Amino acid sequence: MNCEELKDMFELYALGVLDDGEKSEIDAHLARDCKECKRSLAHAMAFNAVLLSIGPEEAPSKRLRHRLLASIGYERPGWFWAGALAAALMLVLAVWLGTQERERSNQLADARKELLQVTGERDRLNQAAQFLSDPETRPASFGKGQSAPRRGYVFLHPQLGVMLIASNLPAAGAGKAYEMWVIPKVGAPRPAGLFQSDGMRGLHLLTGPLDLDALKAVAVTLEPATGSAIPTTVPIIVAAAGS
Amino acid sequence: MFKLRLIQLIPAVLFYALFQVVLRREDDPDLVRRLKAREPKAMADLYQRCGRLAYSVILRIVRNVGVAEDLTQETFLRVWNRVGSFDSERGALTPWVLTVARNRAIDHVRSQDGKLEANAVDLDRLERPGLFMDLDTSALTIDRARRLKSALEKLTANQRTVIELAYYEGMSHTEMAERLQQPLGTVKTWTRSALQVLRSELSEAAVA
Repeated sequence: MNCEELKDMFELYALGVLDDGEKSEIDAHLARDCKECKRSLAHAMAFNAVLLSIGPEEAPSKRLRHRLLASIGYERPGWFWAGALAAALMLVLAVWLGTQERERSNQLADARKELLQVTGERDRLNQAAQFLSDPETRPASFGKGQSAPRRGYVFLHPQLGVMLIASNLPAAGAGKAYEMWVIPKVGAPRPAGLFQSDGMRGLHLLTGPLDLDALKAVAVTLEPATGSAIPTTVPIIVAAAGS
Repeated sequence: MFKLRLIQLIPAVLFYALFQVVLRREDDPDLVRRLKAREPKAMADLYQRCGRLAYSVILRIVRNVGVAEDLTQETFLRVWNRVGSFDSERGALTPWVLTVARNRAIDHVRSQDGKLEANAVDLDRLERPGLFMDLDTSALTIDRARRLKSALEKLTANQRTVIELAYYEGMSHTEMAERLQQPLGTVKTWTRSALQVLRSELSEAAVA
């Protein structure tokens, strides 16, 4: 076929729908660098593009644009940034709330501990004041004339028990405690409770009825922090009940 | 009365806008240069210019919104990956994009029908960037394109059918003859006469 005979076929050729025989004819002309056929093909390409574009127009979803541009790394879908921002804010908020909560818990625990200490101290002082103000309380001093004087007082009461107030009493040390003993006139010493020295002072109370007539002395030894059944060291304080 | 005139003007305005988009070439060289430089913003501009057109062509062929969106994305990525050999001074970008869009859709439909083989290679060959150089787009003015649209509407039912089958279903004469159960010669005559009508409409518009 000559160029003129092929002229009607270029639109279909450009669409790729020509049957093999006709397609081969055009291929052969184009392969010969036939200028007229090349011009016809260019016309057909433009014609087809316009014919395709005059159909009804539809709008794709907005997400298609985001998807396309995201696929070449230009922009991520809008929801991604919104989601990432929300997640980041939630994370920051969660960390901040966690820190605040932890700080509040620590402060609360410290306050509770301090309150317990103050309450315990107050109760002990109230008890000591009640002990001292009772008319049946009688004193028994100790430590007079000792070389490293550990002075203090022991107060005895037939119903309230024994109260020990010591001065110049150093801290017991790690794993150790002071233990008070009630020594009867007949029989072995009985443990009367553990206590620690607060700085250089020690205050200890043994509450409960006490047979003062049978009491020989009150003593203090340094013992393991868990206490002992019988004294294991030489007493550092001894107060005679009759003095 | 004034409002009525405005409403009557809307189709003309839309039509004008459409062909501004299709035929605009004056900023093609710059856009092609930016696409070649792998500027992602250039892709956004190209999609802005002809994304809707490409999608419309594809949707008309595949008739499925999800598939049409996938194929539109594939079309633009294909252009992005092949723009390196596109002539920035002599190439016509929009016709190229529309051809790739139409071919991707036809290829998809044919693969669904088990007709991939040689046709896919042929379509690939017919969307090479080199084929879109020196297109006579200046001859296709807005007025002539409008004439083409009205000429399309004036075709006989058979002529419109064969144009539809060739452009939107990718059928050859032989396939059309089988589908329409008509002699091959008859189908060829309908196609040839339809294209002649459309071409002559454009020619007359050019002379006028």
